[in-house]
Amino acid sequence: MRGLELRVGAVLVTLVVAAALLSRFWTPYDPTMPAGARLQPASAAHPLGTDAFGRDLLSRLLAGAQSTVYVGVIAVGIAVLIGVPLGLWAAQLPGRASEVLLRATDVAQAFPALLLAILLAGLFGGSTETAMVAIGLASIPQFLRVARAGALQVLASDFVLAARACGIGRLAIARTHVLPNIAPLVGVQATVSFALAILAEAALSYLGLGTRPPTPTWGSMLQQAQSVWFAHPEQAVIPGVAIAVAVLGFNLLGDGLREHLDPRLREEVA
Amino acid sequence: MGNRTPHTRLGLGRRVAAVAAALALTTLAACTGQTTPGTSAPGASASPTEAPAAKTLTIAAHPELITLDPTAQAPAASAQAQLFNVYETLLKINSDGVPQPLLAQRWEVSPDGRTYTFYLNPTAKFASGKQVTAEAVVKNIDRIRTGQVDGKPVTAPDGTPVPVGAKYSTWMKVVQSATAVDPTTLKVTLTRPSNTWLYAMGDTPGLIADPDGFATLASKSAGSGPYQVKEWRKGDSLVLERNPGYWGTPGRFDTVTFKYIADPNAMNSALLAGTIDIIANEQAPDSLAQFADPARFTIVEGSTNAEVTMSMNNASPALKDVRVRRAIALAIDKKKVLDDVQAGRGTIIGSMTVPTDPYYEDLSGVNAYNPEQAKALLKEAGATDLTLRFRPANLPYATAAATDITAMLKAVGINVVLEPQPWPNWVQQVFVGKDYDLTIVAHVEARDLNTYDNSQFPNYYWGYANPAFNQLWLAADQAPREQYPDLMKKAARQLADDAASVWLYMMPNLVVTKATVTGVSQNQTTDSFDVTTIATR
Repeated sequence: MRGLELRVGAVLVTLVVAAALLSRFWTPYDPTMPAGARLQPASAAHPLGTDAFGRDLLSRLLAGAQSTVYVGVIAVGIAVLIGVPLGLWAAQLPGRASEVLLRATDVAQAFPALLLAILLAGLFGGSTETAMVAIGLASIPQFLRVARAGALQVLASDFVLAARACGIGRLAIARTHVLPNIAPLVGVQATVSFALAILAEAALSYLGLGTRPPTPTWGSMLQQAQSVWFAHPEQAVIPGVAIAVAVLGFNLLGDGLREHLDPRLREEVA
Repeated sequence: MGNRTPHTRLGLGRRVAAVAAALALTTLAACTGQTTPGTSAPGASASPTEAPAAKTLTIAAHPELITLDPTAQAPAASAQAQLFNVYETLLKINSDGVPQPLLAQRWEVSPDGRTYTFYLNPTAKFASGKQVTAEAVVKNIDRIRTGQVDGKPVTAPDGTPVPVGAKYSTWMKVVQSATAVDPTTLKVTLTRPSNTWLYAMGDTPGLIADPDGFATLASKSAGSGPYQVKEWRKGDSLVLERNPGYWGTPGRFDTVTFKYIADPNAMNSALLAGTIDIIANEQAPDSLAQFADPARFTIVEGSTNAEVTMSMNNASPALKDVRVRRAIALAIDKKKVLDDVQAGRGTIIGSMTVPTDPYYEDLSGVNAYNPEQAKALLKEAGATDLTLRFRPANLPYATAAATDITAMLKAVGINVVLEPQPWPNWVQQVFVGKDYDLTIVAHVEARDLNTYDNSQFPNYYWGYANPAFNQLWLAADQAPREQYPDLMKKAARQLADDAASVWLYMMPNLVVTKATVTGVSQNQTTDSFDVTTIATR
């Protein structure tokens, strides 16, 4: 059963990433231009049909994967690059200072990415960039906590004590001993955060606060499907399923990886 | 092992939650149709059978009014709810576009076309109980024309001036003097004959408010109509209640609620669920099939005065060149826009005039769709690397049309940065601030060709300036009545030739009502959504 999660997750994620890569070089039609009559059902020419403006839905779905992956990668990248160093630092702080920092992250975590994104969009206008930054900033606390917890365990281990006894500096210990040991934890958190970033991105573009039209995103496809929902529900189902598949894929991958990488957990399950 | 790292908590529960959220987002597109119980107006759902004592009518509309004072600002939403319902005019333009008596029983025009004598209905009175006298009408005309009454500026209780939209005051500029001959006889002298002035008197610029209420128009209604404003719940609804002392046929409803619903599906669902009686302007024509059952619903389709217009900022450097504007017009396939946005309902137009105008001429052939010619013209004008800021109002028809047009412009090599603006922002930034290259909005006023005349509207957001057009318009307006249509046609053609804007189509009047509602006007000939003709079974 354990391997199954990992495999299904990997397949779904590969699908999404492959679609995103493929669409960089090729889509059946230009996703922003009409390619036929409007609201056509699936056919040989348009495997998923066309939208209310006559644009090919398959092309838009593929191109939408691009914004999804792009926003996810950058947002998680921001969160990792800021959150992990902060976590390592927090692990080495004395008890009280560490407590203060942790409570501060609690406060930060109380702000959902959406709220932050709406704030940023209000200040700088909605765009792909504000969405990425907002989602990234909102994910920092998760990485801080994961990195700190992992680092605390590693720092308490004998080999770190030995290294410290040898007079090796804090920074060097963090780099050579702590970081490699918590990398798997961070990797797992990254996949899970990626799934959340996909959701947040979809929600933002659904609200018109993310990537600007006419660049296709799954969220904006959902939004445009709204005006024809009753006559053509498939218009909303197609991007909706894509979002669900991507989120499920990254979550399964994250869980699979975690079980695979964490020997302790493997014993527990066994 | 007690020391579990935090990430192990991200187990099944979190995963299921995330996927559930994804599915929820999917269904959000479907579910926004549901109105939350908390936002429906109290009493709005009362069915006619259950409560004959309190007869209510609930009308869904969009966009919402910005101020209660219908003459303060350009957007017509305030007049949509109040004209003829709360405020009245001397005469009323009926569904066929013909002036009918209202506050004035009859009127006479002098042979030179410059002097109008109105004979007011002596029984007409304001909601306050005071008579609608010729003197009160004079004060109204003066206020709209100059912002002053008896030589003093009209100010709100806090000392700020009560604004009058330039769009309305301009119509009254042609008035030289208005005098009360006796309490029921009014004489208006014009500086020159004007064919359009009388029509303006039957629309928002000519509405007659109680002079005692001028200072507080923005917070309290002061009309003579069958209803008065009971409450404006900002962001939700405008509630009118019957004016108990109305001088004419009393209003048929105890309360009339204009409910502002931005989402087209939510509007449709509200009617399907029975919480509203009327959709004043159907915004998702693709979903009209839901109302196909004539036993339950009536669909009224007619004409409006609304030109759905893609304005081009003629003053912006990129669009100063008429060749560039023509090229943009040539790049746009209006038929496709109409099909995609209105499911094919409406009429394609080619200038700032609609089929019900007496001077209408089909000019859709001027600068008609021809992408090849568009490309050639752009090349000729040296505009081969054009990037334009496209800021449509964030209204369903406007954003949908903008989606189409963005692709059409891309096809001829014009880059477009599409930035839909929320409605109040749009008014501030685009309409008032003129910070745009392209935008889309429906111009709903009757006979509003003159907004292109920069001697009358020096700061209008078109940025169009052509003295030849101004002269054509003026010549038509002051010509003998029988020459008016032919001369005005010339003015309309001038605009089309100059590609001053791209006029996409006439917005269809699409009203959907419960089958029990009758009397909805088929054609919308003024700013008003007229409730006075409506009855329910």
